[in-house]
Amino acid sequence: MPTVKIFFVTDLHGSEICWKKFLNAGAFYKADVVILGGDVTGKAMVPIVQHADGSWEASLQDHRDTLQTEAELQEFETRVMNRGYYPIRVSDEEYRAMQEDADLVDKRFKEVMLDGTARWLDMAEDKLAGKGIRVIACPANDDMFEIDDQLAHATLVETGDEDHPIDLDGFTMVSMGWTNPTPWHTFREEEEPELAVRIQRALTAVTDPSTTIFNFHAPPYGSKLDNAPALNEDLTYKSGGQALRPVGSTSVRDAVKSFQPLLSLHGHIHESKGAARIGSTLALNPGSSYEEGILQAAVVNIDMKKRKVKNYQLVNG
Amino acid sequence: MATVTGEGPTLFLRKATGLVKGWSKFDAFLYSFMSVNFVTLGLFFALAVLGYVPTGQVLPALLVSGIFVTFLVVTYAGLISVMPRAGGDYVWQSRVLGGGVAFVLAVTGWWFILWYWTPVYATILNVEVLQPLAAVFKWNGMLTWLGTKNGLFVVCIVTALLAGFLVSLGMEGYAKVQKYCFYLGMGALAFIMLVMLLGSRAGFQSSFDSESTRLFGAAPGAYQATIDLAGGASALPAKIGFSPFLGDSLLLIPFLCFWILWPNWGATLYGEVRGASDFKRVMSGMMYGLWVTIAVAVVFLLLASKFFGWNFFNAGNVNFINYFYGYTTDPGPAKVWTYPPLMVGFFFKNSLVSAIIVLLFGAWFLGWAGTLFLSSTRVIFAAAFDRILPERVADVSEKRHVPVMALVLMLVPSLIVSAFYAYWLTFRTFILDATLVIAVTFFGTAIAATILPWRKKHLYENSAIARYKVAGIPLISISGFLTALFLGFNLYKWLWPPFNSDSSNLYAINVPKSLYFMGGMYLLALVIYLIAKFYRKSQGIELKAIYQEIPVE
Repeated sequence: MPTVKIFFVTDLHGSEICWKKFLNAGAFYKADVVILGGDVTGKAMVPIVQHADGSWEASLQDHRDTLQTEAELQEFETRVMNRGYYPIRVSDEEYRAMQEDADLVDKRFKEVMLDGTARWLDMAEDKLAGKGIRVIACPANDDMFEIDDQLAHATLVETGDEDHPIDLDGFTMVSMGWTNPTPWHTFREEEEPELAVRIQRALTAVTDPSTTIFNFHAPPYGSKLDNAPALNEDLTYKSGGQALRPVGSTSVRDAVKSFQPLLSLHGHIHESKGAARIGSTLALNPGSSYEEGILQAAVVNIDMKKRKVKNYQLVNG
Repeated sequence: MATVTGEGPTLFLRKATGLVKGWSKFDAFLYSFMSVNFVTLGLFFALAVLGYVPTGQVLPALLVSGIFVTFLVVTYAGLISVMPRAGGDYVWQSRVLGGGVAFVLAVTGWWFILWYWTPVYATILNVEVLQPLAAVFKWNGMLTWLGTKNGLFVVCIVTALLAGFLVSLGMEGYAKVQKYCFYLGMGALAFIMLVMLLGSRAGFQSSFDSESTRLFGAAPGAYQATIDLAGGASALPAKIGFSPFLGDSLLLIPFLCFWILWPNWGATLYGEVRGASDFKRVMSGMMYGLWVTIAVAVVFLLLASKFFGWNFFNAGNVNFINYFYGYTTDPGPAKVWTYPPLMVGFFFKNSLVSAIIVLLFGAWFLGWAGTLFLSSTRVIFAAAFDRILPERVADVSEKRHVPVMALVLMLVPSLIVSAFYAYWLTFRTFILDATLVIAVTFFGTAIAATILPWRKKHLYENSAIARYKVAGIPLISISGFLTALFLGFNLYKWLWPPFNSDSSNLYAINVPKSLYFMGGMYLLALVIYLIAKFYRKSQGIELKAIYQEIPVE
């Protein structure tokens, strides 16, 4: 095999249409391996509330729908899942109870995220078993820890994290779903000094930069792969969203600079699609438009013999 | 299934990255308002040429333009809502019309023609800030020099460097500057409008006469001499009015586009679109930017008619424009443009007051100058990420986060074009090329929006605007079509008949040299695209793969 072709996406956040495209991308781009870098699960649940008269009511994108038939319900649920949200059918009473009890919401979130991930893993199995395309999906800061086990026990889909590097035909991919702190205090974030220690620990598994690939969710600080709209204290945009600032990780930047892997794959900052050279390392962030059902991705050809990135392309499938 | 817009069962959100709470409508308004910049583009390049269509009426022309630009706003807000992080015309067109067409239209409209905008910005700096200051302080040597070709070219260099510096500040830093400029500029505008409301025309006439004599050594009666130089009252628009019969007023619209076509400038939505409310918020920001500007302009024009006199207002403008483009050698008794804030300053017969007014109005320029290179930088980056341009053009300096190569690609050609503008008077008259090329880009986007619901059905139906229809037709298709119609009208007026060698025609850009200049830009864009296509193919990269949609099932 003279080259290995990697199809890399990130931040699907539960978008069912993007996951389906992801599973088809290997054949479409003739890739050897398809990688979902991190942030597998969705961020929102859309309640479909059943009223006493048997009708259902739900709201999506500020449009309120009254649903009467099972077909209408299913069509609505598909639209919800394609945007990366989880539809939940609830009664009036359940809906009101959830509005008043955060624990109930958390419990339901956990259920739907695990169910959703399980369904995705089954879809991968159905679609790609025996096709010779490797599928890798890694958790990142927005994924609760419970999905790690699910991914680890999947039959077709492989996973990796900072303690479990993945062999890619002679190359080693080190994954790091943890990020520097965000304003949202998500599952896997820590201050830069601790993150640096975690990265160093992960790098003990690799010695040769020319055969190492980073799959670090947080982009390097100041790399132009990490420009996000600046926010006010109350999480509203500063200056109408026009004011951008680098929000990547300095630990990731330092690790890329000092270790100089062949390739460094990132995500996390959906708006900051791009490519950057950090020393001899090619760093990529394909960005994400999961809500629109657009699968933003990086297609990378690696020359196995020369241990070089032969070419790459950022695509919008 | 019944659908209505409004409150229903609400989403349950968990803690997750990127879940922001929206942005202030005022901020969205501010960027739009500063782009449809009444003082810089409006006063000089649009409202100063009314005298060229003496039988036209500006108020109905402005109203009609505003109505049609409203459709442009709806179209852009719709596209932003469908593809929020796309980064504008380039990606929208790429997805719908194809990569080659999109590249050519986007780089010409958002990059190459911005080279010509550098001297346009410089001219504004010159005639609205530097020359008035030199005039009120009687720095006659400086005033004369600023009016020379060398003087203009040096101002172009200063402007390009200033715009580059503002880009290097980063958008966050510049956004603060822009906000302060907005408040200062609006305060100054409110002040002069108050003076124009309360002051009398006789008082202004007397002040203008005496200040013209004091500052420029003009003979007594400068006010009347200004009108006479423009051909007298019979050659000028008779009075400001509002006729429902448009007639020749339509001829003013292609001039007004130079100013009024940009409420969507830099309109980018970041973050995650929850729904129709985001579409409405984006749209209302631009809409207020457009219509507040039009309201300000209408009030200002009525006050100008009352305070300066409509004949004088247009005569001063025509005299200076004729002089600036080399049609005449006499700028009028006042040796500078009769810039309305300066004229109001004359009313006080005090150099310091005039200078303060001029400087405060300089905020309109400063809050606008940073936009010169920002959009170009974005397009250059997007083309580099698509591998059409070399990767290096998207390099950002590590220390200051400045897009060095992108700035070079803007600065160097800008200075070359500036030299042509400064030293070749005919080239200056191609001023409307600067709008035409961007209008062509917008035209492409309007077409893309019109056919989007059919060409990219999934994408459209997954968006918040899919529910907005008029008589069963998608709203974005209707607004896109009407926008294309409006732009098509202007393109027809600007270009027809093509290759007309009579340089006295109204818009002065359908002459061969102007067409060669614009055609050269399109050719350059096409050549770059074709070279990239074949070069990347030799590397095993197919450019068409960038926007190929992966099958879902």
